[in-house]
Order: sequence, then C-alpha cells, then structure tokens
Amino acid sequence: MNKMKMPTGGLHLTVDRRSFLRATSILAAGGAITLRSGLPVHAQENSAELLKLYADAKVDWQKNKGQTIVLGGLEHPWMNAVVPLIPLFTQLTGIEVKVDKQSETEFSASMPVKLGGGSATPDVFMIWALGQAISAKWLQPLDAFRNDASLFDAAWYDEPDIFSSARSFEKWSDGASYGLAITAEAQTLFMNKSMLDAKGLSAPASMDDLLKLAVALKSEEVAGIAMRAKPTGDAAPWTLAGFVFSYGGAYVTKDGKSGLAMPESIAGLDMYGKLLREAGPVGIASYHWMECLNDFMQGAVAIGCDSSNFATDIEDKSKSTVAGNTLFGVLPASEGKPAKPNMWHWMAGINAKSANKDAAWLFLMWATSKPTSTLAAAVGLATPRGSAWQTSAFRDRFGAQAADAALKNLQAADGDLFKAAWFHPKAPEILDAVGIAVNEVVTGSKDATKAFGDADGKVRQALEM
Amino acid sequence: MDARTRFIILMLTPATVLLLGLTIFPFIASVAMSLSNYSMVTPDSLAFAGLQNYFKLLQAEEFWTALRATALFTVLAVAIQLALGVAIATFLHHETRAVPLLRAIYLLPMAITPVAAVFTFRMMLNPSLGVFNYLLKLVGLPPQDWLGTPAMAMTSLLIVDTWQWAPFILLIAAGGLAAMDEEPLQAARMDGATEAQVFFHHTLPALLPYLGVAIVFRAIDAFKTFDIIFVLTGGGPGVATRTLNLLAYKHGIEFLSMGYAAAIAIVMLAITIIAAQVFLRRMRMFVPRAAL
Repeated sequence: MNKMKMPTGGLHLTVDRRSFLRATSILAAGGAITLRSGLPVHAQENSAELLKLYADAKVDWQKNKGQTIVLGGLEHPWMNAVVPLIPLFTQLTGIEVKVDKQSETEFSASMPVKLGGGSATPDVFMIWALGQAISAKWLQPLDAFRNDASLFDAAWYDEPDIFSSARSFEKWSDGASYGLAITAEAQTLFMNKSMLDAKGLSAPASMDDLLKLAVALKSEEVAGIAMRAKPTGDAAPWTLAGFVFSYGGAYVTKDGKSGLAMPESIAGLDMYGKLLREAGPVGIASYHWMECLNDFMQGAVAIGCDSSNFATDIEDKSKSTVAGNTLFGVLPASEGKPAKPNMWHWMAGINAKSANKDAAWLFLMWATSKPTSTLAAAVGLATPRGSAWQTSAFRDRFGAQAADAALKNLQAADGDLFKAAWFHPKAPEILDAVGIAVNEVVTGSKDATKAFGDADGKVRQALEM
Repeated sequence: MDARTRFIILMLTPATVLLLGLTIFPFIASVAMSLSNYSMVTPDSLAFAGLQNYFKLLQAEEFWTALRATALFTVLAVAIQLALGVAIATFLHHETRAVPLLRAIYLLPMAITPVAAVFTFRMMLNPSLGVFNYLLKLVGLPPQDWLGTPAMAMTSLLIVDTWQWAPFILLIAAGGLAAMDEEPLQAARMDGATEAQVFFHHTLPALLPYLGVAIVFRAIDAFKTFDIIFVLTGGGPGVATRTLNLLAYKHGIEFLSMGYAAAIAIVMLAITIIAAQVFLRRMRMFVPRAAL
C-alpha cells in the first residue's frame, strides 16, 4: 500500500469494501487489458460482478431506461479509457450512449458553434473552457441532481475520495457546480535517465539548476529541454504558468486584475525563455505538446516539463524509446519561493439544452464513480480519485515513480492561481496574449519585460470589456 | 401570367431559393451581426452597436499587422504559383510520351485533402525529426528552423501553398495553350524568332485572358487561406503569420466575439471585391475584344 500523503484523505471506501476490492483485483490480476467488443476482456467476463458495485448505490439506475444520450468529447485518454466501458453503463441503466469524438482542435472549434446555436446535443460533453461555457449558459448546474435522492447517493459516490483540488475546480464563483472533474494532471519534470547518468548529473533542485542542467545536456545530437512555445492560447501558457507561479507571479491576480506586468511574472517568463533559447531544439518556437512529447520519446531531447499524463505514453514501449529510462520529478523552485507547478482537471458537464438531463446526470455520475474510475485507471487514466491512484493496476500501467511525482506536483500546485486565469470568461483572450508573449521571448524578438508589457495591455483591455 | 413566364419562374425558383438561403441570407445576417455587440459569452446583452466594431477594428494594431501579413502572403503566393504554373504548363505542352503521366502527377496535390497534406508537411518540417532537415544534413547543410522566424515561417507557408495550388494555374494555363492558334507561333518561328521571343511576344500575351481568370480565383483563395496557416504556424512566430482570416477565427470561434469577427469578415469581403474589380478593369477582361 502506498503510504504517500494524498491530496485528499486517501482511500475512503464507504461502499462494500470486499466487493470493491474483489472487482478491482479482477483488473489488477489480469495485467494489461485488451479490448474486445468495446468492453475490457476482464470486465466482460466479470460484468455481473462489476454491476454489483453500482447496484450498491441507492440510485434508481433504470429511471431513464430506453433513452439515448450523446457524449461529446475529444481525442483524449479519458475518452479512450471510458468509452470502452460504456456497454457496462448501458447494461446497468438501459440508456444508450452515442459517442461523438473529434480532434482537440475540431472539438473546441465546433462546440461553440453547436452550443451557441442552441443544439440539444451532445447531452454530456468535455468542458474545454469553463468560464466561457458558464457565461454563455451552455452548462446545466448540477446541484439539483445532487439533491435528488433518486439520482444521487452521496455515501456511495464518496466525494472525499476525490482530490480536494478537483472538488475545488467543480465549484464556480457563484457557489454552484457546473461540471465534474474527470482527470487529474500536474506539470511534471521528466528526464532521460541514461543521459543524466552519462554526465553524472542529477535532478535539479532549483530553477537555476534546471537551466544549468539543460545547457549541460545539450549537444549536437540532443537538445537539453523542450517545452511548448507555439503562440496559441492552448499551447505555451499552460507550461509557462508553472514558472510564472513559482516565481511568485500570476496571469490574473486573485482579485481579477492582470498580473503579467508583475516583476515576478516577468522573471518566470525570462527563465522559460532562457531555457528554450539556450537549451531548446531548433524550431522550438512552433512546438506544441505533441512535438515536445515526440522529441522526448524519441530521445531527441533530454528533459521535458509538461503534463503528468505523458507518463502513459513515455512508458509505452511500443511508441517510446525511453520507456523504463525516464526519471519523473517535481518542478524545481525558484530561490526562496515554493514551487507551484501548473495543474489541470478536465471536467465534463451537462448541456443546458439537453432533453435527457437525468440520463446525462446518471452517465456523468457513473463515469466519475469510484468503480468506473478504478476501471479507467487500470488502463493508465489519471482520474481525480485517490483510491484509483492507489490501485496496483494503475501504478503498474502509469509507473509508480511517475505517479508519485505527479501527486507531489499536484499537492504543490495552487489551484486558485490557475482558476483565476483559465476559468475567467475572457480566458481565451488572456491566454492568447500570453502565448504570443512566450513565443516572442523564445524567438528572441522581444525581451520578457517588453513581451509581457505588451501582453499586459491586451489583457487589461480584455478584462475591461 | 402566361405559361412561358410561369415556366421560367418555376425553373428559376430552386436556384433563387438556394441563392437566397445559402448566400444572400448569411451575408445579410453577417452584416447585421457586424453592426451589433453580439458575444456568445454575454448573449443577454445583445445590442445595436452601429459602426463601433469597424472603428475599433481600424484602430487596432492587430488588424493592420494581419492585413500586411495577408497581403504579403497573397501577392507572393500568386506570383510564385503563376510563374511556376505557366512554366510547367509550357513544358508539358510539348507533346511527349510522358506528358499524361506527368500531368496527372502535377495535379495530384490539388486532389489531396488539404488538412491531411498540411499535417504531413508539419511532420516533414519538424526541425529535429522532419525529413527536410534530414535531407539538409545529408548534403552537409545545417538544419533550418522552418517555422521559427517570421521570414522562414512565411517561406514555409508559401512552399506548402505553392505545392498545393500551382497545379491550379497549370491546369488553366494548359487549357489556354491547348486552345491557342498555333499558326502565328509557327509563322514567328519561320521568321527567325527564338523560342523565348515566341513565348514572351506571342504565347504569353495570348494566355493573358486565361491567366487573368486564374489570378483572380487564386488571389481570392490565397487571401482567405486558413488551414495551412492554422496547422503549420498558428499565426506565429509572434503574430507574423496571423492573417485576417486567422484573426477573424480567433475573435469569432475562440473569443466568441461574433459581432467583431463578423466585422473582420465584412472588411475582408470589401477588400476582395475592390481588389478584384480594380484588377479586372485594369486587365480589361470583360471588355469585348472588338472594343480593345
């Protein structure tokens, strides 16, 4: 049993512990899960056993039998892990689920058009911009479902098992909840172990150490470090945030003002720019997360610093040349300040125009429940449930060392700083300005003071509108 | 109403309905939206804003930066593709056995789904793992940051756009060459004109009406290029390749400021119409040849 302190109070099993453990052991014992007819082999063979876990909930699962809902999502580990389990949900509830999966770009471009046009589908969808979606009234508040005894069993659902950061994500400033967290990610450092060993170097303890390490590892063949620098709102701002926050800065301060002109924010951007200019690969200015991950997995770069979810790909021998040769670590601190890596919980919510809201809620609750989270974790999904992170199936698939590093980074993260920027109704404008600033600093066309000064003007203008 | 008139109206109705539904109505809706403060983030505060979006746009530095990037991309793309398309069409015009195969190969890029092709180029342009830099290394040249500097990013975009759309010019120029009367060319050759003289003094002037059409089509298309830029550079580095179409996308789809985005689209339309009209008048393309 992992003794590490969890972001919430650890494993809380208020459902029948024996049956729960029995079901999860079915998965753990099976090792790698293969898929057949949409449902994991072990789940198919033991679906009756698994269904008992849901039957323990004092919820009328069959209330909306015969209805059909549409699940909207993007190409993402959560969809890849949960969609194959949907037959289990249909067996439990009699509700059919149609899946509408798109690429990330396609999804975030088509959803505003669809929802803005008043479409009743998808009934349940992954929320790509919470502040926008709430302001535009696309999301159904979830509190009424939670208060309906036929639709929610608090004891069975076991909210304390969900990381506190994830529960805080679910609460909007008006006190209502508009979505449920479906993943847990934290900014994590990953280093090529053999490259470190070859030069007798170790993981960095400070930001300055990180710079020295990255420069020392850079050679003709291998870049020292790769991080996102593409000038778009969905690219560079997420990884830069860990640096800005760790230096004491903010994109948007907790009182809702632009924090880009703060000396601490500028210092964070300056370090980020230095790292990529002095130790980054050729062409880093156009790198999104995919290029960073590919370069690291192919051994073309020695250090990466991105989502903890990368561990699943990095440790996958079929696509990574550095599987089993990667050291996962915490984001280093700047001098005299605590490290504050960035974080992220994907959330899913219900379309306010959905004609099948109760069925949609049942799906959402099922998908985020402890049994489903455990099943999804067995194929490597980092769910926001502490119990799922502790299962051996998850730790084997995700990597125990990667899981420990991710949890440490998640504990160190400051969710309020993240929420102030990413949950703001003007988040796309704010992040677009930050993305351009990062790119300008990395390409050397502006220094950090000028780049963030210009971005500050744009953000102030957006916040005033 | 006589039977003939009724028949004409009946025949015109489907096309008119389609025109109204798919072109006129969306256009009117866009103009109306551009005169409002409509934002999907605050749908309840919808109000008439007059020309406010247009004034704001014309005062915004990002608009002029985007206009410069758009103009540069359009002019260079059309010029390069025109030169290349005409050159290849002329080369293919001389009948050889290989021509049908070569023509098919040259036209292939136009038949490929643009986004799929651009994603392939994105991988090929990847500085550390892409084939372009691999080939450079093979011949002893240093790897290039294909999308990392404003000049290189624009050059890369032009390479991809030219790969895809030069065949369009080729197709029209080849059509023009096939329809051309060969007798004056043969007469010129018999009078001792060199091939270059024949081309520049006879072939090219005779091709001009065809090329004029190709230029208008291609320029309008290049002006509103989106997929190549979106996938390859996202408008970067900085905002060096953020064209007007990308700016409209940012404001409309990402920021959900539909009124402002509609104003950008209407300004783009106005620029296209004015530029096309000026070009067509200069080329005197719609003036009957007898009046020239």
